[in-house]
Amino acid sequence: MTRERTLILGIGNPLMGDDGAGIEAVRRLAASKLPGHVTVREAGTPGWGLVEWIQDWPSVVIVDAVQMGLQPGEWQRFDAGEVRLIAGEGTLSLHEPDLAGGLALAQALDLLPERITFYGIEPKSTDPGMRLSPAVNAGLPGLVEGILNEFAQ
Amino acid sequence: MTKEAKRIDVHHVTRVEGHGNILVNIEGGKIKDCRFDVIETPRFFEAMLRGRPYQEASHITSRICGICSTGHTTASLRASEKALGVELSEQTVLLRKLVFHGEILDSHVLHVYMLVAPDFLGVGSVIPLATTHRDVVLRALRMKKLAGDICAVVAGRHTHPIAMTVGGFTHFPTAAELKDLQEQLVACRADADATVDLCAALPWPKFERDTEYVSLTKPDEYAFIDGEIMTSDGFKLPAENYKEVTNEYLVQHSSAKLTRNKRESLMVGALARFNNNYNQLHPRAKEAARKLGLKPKVTNPYLNTAAQVVEIVHCVEDAINVIDQLLKRGIKFEQPAPVDLGKIGSDGCTGVGACEVPRGILIHQYWIGQDGKLTGANCIIPTNQNIGNLEADMQALVPQIMNKPVDAMRLDLEMLVRAYDPCISCSVHVMKVEKKPVP
Repeated sequence: MTRERTLILGIGNPLMGDDGAGIEAVRRLAASKLPGHVTVREAGTPGWGLVEWIQDWPSVVIVDAVQMGLQPGEWQRFDAGEVRLIAGEGTLSLHEPDLAGGLALAQALDLLPERITFYGIEPKSTDPGMRLSPAVNAGLPGLVEGILNEFAQ
Repeated sequence: MTKEAKRIDVHHVTRVEGHGNILVNIEGGKIKDCRFDVIETPRFFEAMLRGRPYQEASHITSRICGICSTGHTTASLRASEKALGVELSEQTVLLRKLVFHGEILDSHVLHVYMLVAPDFLGVGSVIPLATTHRDVVLRALRMKKLAGDICAVVAGRHTHPIAMTVGGFTHFPTAAELKDLQEQLVACRADADATVDLCAALPWPKFERDTEYVSLTKPDEYAFIDGEIMTSDGFKLPAENYKEVTNEYLVQHSSAKLTRNKRESLMVGALARFNNNYNQLHPRAKEAARKLGLKPKVTNPYLNTAAQVVEIVHCVEDAINVIDQLLKRGIKFEQPAPVDLGKIGSDGCTGVGACEVPRGILIHQYWIGQDGKLTGANCIIPTNQNIGNLEADMQALVPQIMNKPVDAMRLDLEMLVRAYDPCISCSVHVMKVEKKPVP
């Protein structure tokens, strides 16, 4: 278990169905018992501003809905080294980028935290709507418990 | 003159907000097509507003745009307030000015650094820029954060203000928060100056085409909120008569309504404001204009971005001044100015809210019934007003550049589109360019 200052950051848009899973997860985490060196925040869809959120933390845990090819509601923990940040040139045409774009910018600026951990949960639907799908709802307690275990005293 | 057939089909233009396509076809040295197509789906916000209480209108219309949500909120509140005869306190006017400056700064910094600079610095996006020009990107992020923080301190959130309401505010910044913002704004002067120096050194494309520049104007300040509509052709009229200028019309290739006044097209935005209201810029902003080589009237549309840089300097200075005034008066908790629905006659009432959002004049007009619910709404967005002018620029530009290779032509045209900072709506698509051999 690590005791370095850690930011748990929920990413996603709760107006877009399961895209809000990361936000719901950190809301539950914020209501749970976590050690003092861990801070929980909702970042929403920070775009370029992701750099501002993560740059001063030695360790960041990002919780987000991620398409990983799993069954909806299944979740997975992975380290930054284990995944490729997918932010191709073609996707960078928006006023604001997605998570991968924000991370790529932080990387290019050499402002990535030393340790980045992802907790991804597979969405079922990211169509407009303020409800999580039953599958994601069912998967969330396990995800939250997994994160809590990582910081268990 | 080249006889080679050329086709430029940018579908969609990247680093702008939304769906827009450039289509240029040259055959036998003649221009067959030269269009900017807006293929955005209509969003029906005006219909959504019908039947909603006036208190909800600003929160609904804020969602028209995530970049200028404060602008839509302000125009919406002003429309309701004009309709309902609500008078604002001096504190409300000052706080609205401050949050508005925050949004102009945010949007202009985004456009100048993230969307336009990569073209000049020879990279495809801001990510490689972060490697080659780290200090430039860090400066942009620093300025953007301050701009967002101004919005959050005054209106409760970075985007989609929650504390702005008809008649005033529901939340007030503390003196300490305002002082902190002011210190950061003073420190931001160095970043604003560096932005001017960076942009003064950029090789802006040479292209001139005079048009009718339309903006709001006020007797006593560089207009962002309220004012009369003025055009560089010498007309001035109350904002309530906006339809005389906007004259919306439809064309087959675009889902956006176009506008025109006395000429074939008109231009709104930073360049129009600069041309019409130059004298009211802060002295430091005028100095920035001098460094950038801008003197009204500027008729090169590519320099709309440079005019935004001038406004960045102006807004930093005016935000510092506004905070001075707020601190001097002392921030007071105030109830929003009261609304008396009993004054509304059986025909209902109507009001027009007009603001200069980052991309130009934004108009909201509402019709409100005796029950306080909207019976009608009209929202006129700056990008619509500019599309006709953008196309006219393209048609004037293409004959001047048609001997260039297709890639260079495409870049000139894309940069022209980006100069207008169009905000069409969100999407991501890949660009496609073909060069057809002569049959």
